[in-house]
Amino acid sequence: MHRHSWNFTQNFASDATHHYSAIRILLANNRYRPVANHHFFGKKSLSGRGVCRYQGANRLYDIESINILKDASSAAIYGSKAASGVVIITTKKGKRGKPVISFSSKLGITESYNQRRGLGPKEYIRFREDFLRQLDPAANYNFFTNPNELPADMTIDQWRALSSSTPLDDNIKEWMARLPLFPIEQENYLAGRTMDMHDEVFRKGLRQEYDISTSGGTDALKYYWSIGYDNNEGIRVGDQYSTIRSRLNVNFKIVDWLNVGLNSQFSDGGTNSVPASMNFYVNSPYGQMFDTDGNLERYPHGHSDNPLLDYYRTSLLNKTNSLFANMYAEIKLPFGIKFKTSFQPFYQTYKNFSFTTISKKLGGAANELPTGTREESSAMNWMVDNLLTWNRKFGVHDFNVTLLANVEGNRHWSSSMSNKDFSPNQQLGYNGLQFGNSPTINNNDTKSTGDALMARLNYSLLNKYLLTASVRQDGYSAFGLENPRALFPALAFAWVVTNEKFFRVDFINKMKLRASWGANGNRDIGIYSALAKLGSNAWYDGSSVRVGVSTSSLANGGLKWEKTSALNLGLDIALLENKIDLSADVYDMTTTDLLMNRTLPRVTGFSSITTNLGEVGNKGFEMTLSTKNVHRPNFSWESSLVFSFNRNKIKSLFGDTGTYILLGQQRTGEVPDFTNGWFPGEAIDVVWDYKVTGIWQLDEAAEVAKYGMQPGDFKSVDVNKDSKYVDIEDKQFIGYTVPRYRLGLRNDFAFLKNFTASIFVRADFGHISSYSAALNAGFESNDRWNRNNGPVPYWTADRPNNEYARLNVNTGGYGGGLMIYKPSSFVRIQDVSLAYSLPPSLLRRIKMINMQLFGSVRNLATFTKWPGWDPESGMSAMPRTFTIGLNCSL
Amino acid sequence: MKKIKIFILQLVILMIGVSCSKDRLKPDPLSFFTPENVFVDEAGFEAGLVTCRKQINAENHGYINYIANETSFSDLAVPLRQSDWNKITPSSVIREPVLTFFDNAYTYIKNANTIITRIDDIEWVDPNAKNRILSEALWFRAYWYYRLVNTYGDIPWVGEELKGPKLDYYSTSRSAILDQLQKDLEYALQWLPVTAAKLGDVTKGAVNHLLTKIYLETGHFDKAISAASDVINGPYALMTSRFGSDASKSYYNVMWDLHRCENKNIPANTETIYATVDRADAPPNTWYDGIGTCAMRTYSPCYWRVLDATGNRATNWDTKSGDTLGIGNGDVRTNDFWHYWIWGDKDYAWNTTPDMRRAECNWIEMGESTSEIITVRAGSPNFGEPLTKKYYKSLYDTMDTWYSWPNNKVYVPTPNFIQPWGGQGDWYIFRLAETYLLRAEAYFWKDQTALAADDINKVRERAHAPLISASDVTIDYIFDERARELYAEEPRHSEMVRVSFIFAKLNKDGYSLATISDKNWYYDRVKKNNPFFSPPLYVFWDNTATIYPHNMLWPIPQSVITANTLGRINQNIGYAGADQNVPPLETIP
Repeated sequence: MHRHSWNFTQNFASDATHHYSAIRILLANNRYRPVANHHFFGKKSLSGRGVCRYQGANRLYDIESINILKDASSAAIYGSKAASGVVIITTKKGKRGKPVISFSSKLGITESYNQRRGLGPKEYIRFREDFLRQLDPAANYNFFTNPNELPADMTIDQWRALSSSTPLDDNIKEWMARLPLFPIEQENYLAGRTMDMHDEVFRKGLRQEYDISTSGGTDALKYYWSIGYDNNEGIRVGDQYSTIRSRLNVNFKIVDWLNVGLNSQFSDGGTNSVPASMNFYVNSPYGQMFDTDGNLERYPHGHSDNPLLDYYRTSLLNKTNSLFANMYAEIKLPFGIKFKTSFQPFYQTYKNFSFTTISKKLGGAANELPTGTREESSAMNWMVDNLLTWNRKFGVHDFNVTLLANVEGNRHWSSSMSNKDFSPNQQLGYNGLQFGNSPTINNNDTKSTGDALMARLNYSLLNKYLLTASVRQDGYSAFGLENPRALFPALAFAWVVTNEKFFRVDFINKMKLRASWGANGNRDIGIYSALAKLGSNAWYDGSSVRVGVSTSSLANGGLKWEKTSALNLGLDIALLENKIDLSADVYDMTTTDLLMNRTLPRVTGFSSITTNLGEVGNKGFEMTLSTKNVHRPNFSWESSLVFSFNRNKIKSLFGDTGTYILLGQQRTGEVPDFTNGWFPGEAIDVVWDYKVTGIWQLDEAAEVAKYGMQPGDFKSVDVNKDSKYVDIEDKQFIGYTVPRYRLGLRNDFAFLKNFTASIFVRADFGHISSYSAALNAGFESNDRWNRNNGPVPYWTADRPNNEYARLNVNTGGYGGGLMIYKPSSFVRIQDVSLAYSLPPSLLRRIKMINMQLFGSVRNLATFTKWPGWDPESGMSAMPRTFTIGLNCSL
Repeated sequence: MKKIKIFILQLVILMIGVSCSKDRLKPDPLSFFTPENVFVDEAGFEAGLVTCRKQINAENHGYINYIANETSFSDLAVPLRQSDWNKITPSSVIREPVLTFFDNAYTYIKNANTIITRIDDIEWVDPNAKNRILSEALWFRAYWYYRLVNTYGDIPWVGEELKGPKLDYYSTSRSAILDQLQKDLEYALQWLPVTAAKLGDVTKGAVNHLLTKIYLETGHFDKAISAASDVINGPYALMTSRFGSDASKSYYNVMWDLHRCENKNIPANTETIYATVDRADAPPNTWYDGIGTCAMRTYSPCYWRVLDATGNRATNWDTKSGDTLGIGNGDVRTNDFWHYWIWGDKDYAWNTTPDMRRAECNWIEMGESTSEIITVRAGSPNFGEPLTKKYYKSLYDTMDTWYSWPNNKVYVPTPNFIQPWGGQGDWYIFRLAETYLLRAEAYFWKDQTALAADDINKVRERAHAPLISASDVTIDYIFDERARELYAEEPRHSEMVRVSFIFAKLNKDGYSLATISDKNWYYDRVKKNNPFFSPPLYVFWDNTATIYPHNMLWPIPQSVITANTLGRINQNIGYAGADQNVPPLETIP
């Protein structure tokens, strides 16, 4: 069944998920960004990255196919850039024949799928009352109570008498002064005017995406050319990104032994506006966006910045132009040898100009100065691949030899300047920064280089036994002081059982067994991590500006490649006339010499050093089960279920052995890194923290006092019951932050001849995530603003609960600190779509090849107990997008 | 045709060979310096010192800076919202830099160590330059170690630049560290100049001043007297007449002039021994940090939140009063001992004393019922009337809004920011008045109270305060005088810890090193003088003022102990984790 590009480009990688279980999708990006941060086969690295690299950002529209390579053997040709797996994206090419013109248009509406509003008018007032009572427990409880809501045992005169001065004549005004509310708040309260800053910050965004392409060719020349335009608004006011892209793929067959071509893409994208700030929970519901003169309120309720301040007053020019090209020549040489050489430059320029205008109209304050910055950078990353292949069949023996030589270079040049306080005025904005009075300059240029050599042999016997052997050498300049290069061998074997004569099982149509072992490298660290850097600063000594230096990182010249070797066993089987197709893999990977930032005690003057240490194992299972459930002329239903899990374990860390205490036990062996929560023998993502059981209640006041805390604070398991929370005694392993199981289910339907529909549901299970909003750490609340961690419930003496702590909570009694975790399992209906294709008879009449109308919803619903915005993005809002569109070609 | 193909094949093989050169993969730093290309000559080492000179601004810059924090944890004040020591643990403190000071001081020490360790790596054209640079680095290192051992007690000694990971630190006894500092400073004294060539350069005077403190700690009272005398007899003199930026404003007196930031580093001011440099009119990237001294924010009360008859603010930070009074937050919540009692004697009270340091021009008075601050909010029915307590809804709110303060010490203009927190400014580190009080202290320990009284009277005489006699000299009196003279300048908690250890070491007044965490002079003086710790206890923001003797020394951050997995950094007695302590090292390698 053909899959359609029914959604917006931003998440093209997620469209691949239906087939590839190990990809994790991040929907969070409101803007177009190449999706990164996928971990194929679990988390191997302690440096916390492991990111897929995409060469340029492809439009979904231009993509012919997406292929994912996971095991180390098949990734060998891509080397270290494939440390976390490879997504191979093949773009469309022209085909021989009449020119085909295609057009696609999508229109969508996006908004946050859930609302996490701050405290509303009533809640806000109550919060203020509760907070002030919490701060001053000695005060009369009703001192802060609304005079119209006094309990029966207090008269209004008694209430008025609580004031330490002569109360104001008006009881409500007296009460508002006790709270104390700002003048704007008082005015709005009396007038009954309220606002919800959530609605000022969020909006429904319009998304548009248009593509047109033409393709065709002759024997000698094939072409594909597309132009696309996006204009996407995000879910927040001011969040907008537009881009124009054009792709040209051409291939010339010059003579029968020489083929040359170009695959190229140019893009121009950017934004001109600053999104509204997410720090809107501090704003009071009794504030206002504009004053009576129409000026933007700097402090909407008298305190705390307006979240739309920068949206209104900062002019922005953010623009990225990029050109990616792959120029290649394929030459047929004697003896069955083919040679392909390609040059792949990726050139990018980036501009980020911004200017903050200061005027009363736009919320400017006295004493504030206009400021502007201009940052411009360009990058040139290039790669040369030389590939020799030799393909020969000797009877039943089929040989394919590949030799690769690769060189790459990456340069980046960045200049930025800033200035402020412009004269005679600020009219020129970022176009005239020279008119300010305190210019600054900053340059940051970088350079890195790499190379690779690879040899691979594919051997196939009788089409039944397949063998691949490869060896690869990678070099990278980040390791260039002592160990620039490393060697990575790989071996794979496959047996197509169904091609054996002896194997005759009727209901098995295809069965293939696979086994592979291979090593790969990870180079994902800062390009200058091996060097000691000197930070610099400027200082004015009373007569001149002087430059000071200080060491900002420790040298580690011995830095080298992180290596992962993986053993992979797989089974592909097709049953019952290919109605059931199962692909299953188990793997066991070992990563050594992990690139990590090792924590140092701060007496060193440094917080960490980049180093290679330790060993981590990952074992896991994943399977894809595709079934053709119903296949009738007027109705067909296919489904695809993917399931995976991964378990990792730190096998060794720094190699330092000794005696230490963990879980209250004296242990001897390799010493953990308590700071990062890395324990030999445990998973990287294991959570070591206090096991919170609830909240200390009023009747436990005597007990909680022993811990230096009070009722309303968090209560946790005190393992050794010594009335002290000590990390090495009382912290436990309470869960994992990476999902324990992942599940994806896609169902595709075709009905009434011309209709197709699909639904894709995804689920992650069994993990927990930190929820710092529950800690109310520091000053979540004040007598001047709304609760800045939003709608987190809280404990009070008269409205106790057993999950969320009091206002102004104290966690000082928790040795080593306390973090609150909440379950973040979820089930998400990620994609639903319906499409109608015009019947061929009608198409012929209107002279079209095809035409299709469709509608889809991304992120229709999410089911979770996670209390934050979204279980995957944590504390940022996640969009839901409704799309309608049209595809046609003629 | 075949020839061409074979030629191409040869070309390919050649290209593969070329791509394997090793130098191509050397990391090539382009836009940042490395130690190897900077610490190669005098200018490079001088750049290392520039960082040290800039970083000492940390003492008096930033919101709740270290000196402010030192004042909060003394006999003069409590931290506004963190007065309960039960709530300060090795893992947690809400915002006072009780734990972060430890981490950051070691960063400053690291920067001095880089210079000290590399000093012999190059051939010096001018050996004097080498000695001067080494000596200055030793002084900065000694400065921060002095602050650390008098804040945290026994701590790890880090004496050289780190070249690789190290996680096996042990605590070294503070007395061993002090002995080392003494040696280092005695060396530095030989090579540093009498007068600074440029602002920020360390001089013999600054070395002798610090050395005086260290001699007091190591029990060399005669050497302390001699070092202090070298300063006093050097190119310094107390300022006795009006000078500097406001000299022509007759409303003020010399104690106002002395504390104007723009007057601290001018040649006319002969009292400065060492002062930090940070200027609001210099380029922003030269500022120590984004927000300046924050002196008004940190020390002054929130007078701007006091209400008028309508229940709204009578003044505000952005009304006319804000320019000179600032936007105080009351973080260093001073007490009446400091506001009033310390200024009285047998003849005078705080409001009658001739002491210029308590003069009307230098203090903003928040009186029994009204203030000298006038209501200036446009539209207020009380416009022009003094702020008054009578419109408070709850007197609880007076805690952070209503107390008198010495504006001469904390007033710093804030030209670069919207809110008047106290902008960039120069600040005293060492001033001659303190040298006199240190020498007085040395005489006191030697029971030469007459000489001590003479030194104290030098300081009092300049301030027009009544003179004292030998019989008035006690260590408590010296610390009263230090408060009057050095408020918001001295690391008061550290100085009190220093004296506590001297008492214990001398086994005076029942103090001893063995019992110092249960009984010490710091705690006894705080308990005796700081009214917030006596009933009715200070209660604010969910905290009830509580202190124990062991709180003299602050907790070592748990994060440091935890990260040091291969050794044992001791926790101070009384804090969680101290049961894991091992005996500290007694020597420095």
